[in-house]
Amino acid sequence: MNETGVVLTDIRKSFGSLEVIHGIDLRIAEGSFVVFVGPSGCGKSTLLRMIAGLEEVTDGEIEIKGRNVTDLDPSDRGIAMVFQSYALYPHMSVRENLAFGLKMARTETAEIEARVKAASAILKIDHLLDRRPGQLSGGQRQRVAIGRAIVRKPDVFLFDEPLSNLDAELRVSMRIEIARLHRELGNTMIYVTHDQTEAMTLADKIVVLRDGRIEQAGTPREVYENPANIFVAGFIGSPRMNLLDAAWLGNGRVRVAGSEMSVPVAGDGLQIGEKVSFGARPEHLFVTDGGEGCIPAKVDFAEYLGGTQYLYCQLADGQPLIAEYRSGPEINAGSTLALSVGDNQRRLFAADGRRLT
Amino acid sequence: MTLSKMNASMSLSRRRRARKAFRAESTYHATGVAIALFFLVPFAITLLASFRHGTEARLPPLPPWPANGISLDSYRSLDTFGAGVWQHTFNSLLVSLATVALTVAVSVLAGYGFSRYRFPLKNVLFVLIIATLMIPFQSILTPLFIILARLGLNNSLFGLTLVYVTLQLPFSVFMMRNAFDAVPKEIEEAARIDGARDLKLLFRVLMPLVLPGIATVAIFAFLNAWNEFLAALVLLSSNEKYTLPVLMMAVRAGRLGAVNWGAVQAGVAVMTLPCLVVFLLLQRYYMRGLMAGAVK
Repeated sequence: MNETGVVLTDIRKSFGSLEVIHGIDLRIAEGSFVVFVGPSGCGKSTLLRMIAGLEEVTDGEIEIKGRNVTDLDPSDRGIAMVFQSYALYPHMSVRENLAFGLKMARTETAEIEARVKAASAILKIDHLLDRRPGQLSGGQRQRVAIGRAIVRKPDVFLFDEPLSNLDAELRVSMRIEIARLHRELGNTMIYVTHDQTEAMTLADKIVVLRDGRIEQAGTPREVYENPANIFVAGFIGSPRMNLLDAAWLGNGRVRVAGSEMSVPVAGDGLQIGEKVSFGARPEHLFVTDGGEGCIPAKVDFAEYLGGTQYLYCQLADGQPLIAEYRSGPEINAGSTLALSVGDNQRRLFAADGRRLT
Repeated sequence: MTLSKMNASMSLSRRRRARKAFRAESTYHATGVAIALFFLVPFAITLLASFRHGTEARLPPLPPWPANGISLDSYRSLDTFGAGVWQHTFNSLLVSLATVALTVAVSVLAGYGFSRYRFPLKNVLFVLIIATLMIPFQSILTPLFIILARLGLNNSLFGLTLVYVTLQLPFSVFMMRNAFDAVPKEIEEAARIDGARDLKLLFRVLMPLVLPGIATVAIFAFLNAWNEFLAALVLLSSNEKYTLPVLMMAVRAGRLGAVNWGAVQAGVAVMTLPCLVVFLLLQRYYMRGLMAGAVK
């Protein structure tokens, strides 16, 4: 496996004088599933399109399977791409859509037929081969688009928000389908999305981007549990991590909304009284009956979701806080609670956003 | 209410609804037929009148159909004008079809370029091309004549074709650029990943998608070239080169003050037919072409 699949070296992209990608270095192991996430405009799609060869690279180098492809045509890079809008050829039948790339590469007819058959069997679209894209549902079209990628037998699959046009239910089933496909084919896959669930469930490695820079790259667990900075902490997870203004008291203690608590942080170089941010995920907050390190909070609003309840609270100093509450009797708006966080789930960030350990 | 009563009232309301739908539908179709008749009757009168006997043709056109059996007299007398109707029809067809071919070829390439490539002064160039639509063609007839004479293309059907193509291009380029603009960029990118480049990309993937635009351009080019009179009259000088509109002028003017109305009717019929054929062949695409860009 770990022979390197895709290597990006100091990739930069400018539109005119505006630089949008600022030198990205990334190694993607062969056969892994990498997801680029980030807010809109962070450059994740641009980066993917540069790997595909649809966007010129201003500076830097792209290697796929040890081959420098920076200046090659998209069709010569050993990639296949699935677009958000499917981008099927509307005037061709499904069969012709699947075969088009192979025809362009002058593959033998028997080989084309075999590959189309194999791909349509994997995706269960064999009964649709003679239809036009216009006669298919959204989910079927997306299958055809994926099939068009499969028949090319690419080294790398590129997905550009492939599920955004589907309804919620279909999105879940297609997500599972893509995961299954990755397991069956074992190719390297690079997937762009802004949907966290897709990122967390599909990825071997998540790359969080912001403003054309990588904020953190790691397994979903690493990114979730050990965010490198305040941005990643706030971006990954839904509802997002609570980030509360806090003051460093020294000796691994901070003051948050009037309460003192200990944090698993050495705090080297921090001045006493320095402003920091205290982070705690909603699902790590629990209700206690007072004691060390608990924060009193007033419930403004409670959302009942069946298995769980989201409590939108206000702290003594007016800061908002969201807590997830799973067990026990229903909590109503207006009640006052004492909330606490597990010792190992308390996070601290410096004023410049850096994670403190 | 009992069950049977309920059934009865339900079927009653259903019948009422059916009757209402029937009435709405028949009104719709009756109106359609009336409008169709309104447009078709002139064609029918001309066509029928062109088959009247030679003597009958001079009489007032009531009734407008041949009363004494069908005859080709009018077409025969039409053939006595100029270099014969076949020659002039051939000239017209040649010029019109060549105009269509050249206009489509140039406007597809230009539209593609304007829509998809980035080059300096692109918008200025495009506006310049469109702006030529504002120049009345009669005003540049003299310079055109001089240019063609310098090129040795006066009194040639090829020269006339070039003039027609030139006049047709601004609108056609505009049309084709819009058609290409309406094709999603992703389709082109998917084709590039599939290995289709430049002309292959244009012909295998994009052309079928802009077919409505091409049909519209073709119809306009054909009709305008087929019906054009002034440039043909000015730029052509020998009898056997004239196109049908010029011949028709001669027929309409008559000989020694006597107008052969039968020949006029026959000429109109000859001139109308190809237009109808072209339009009927391409109308399905034409409608879509005009609507493309309107939606979206």
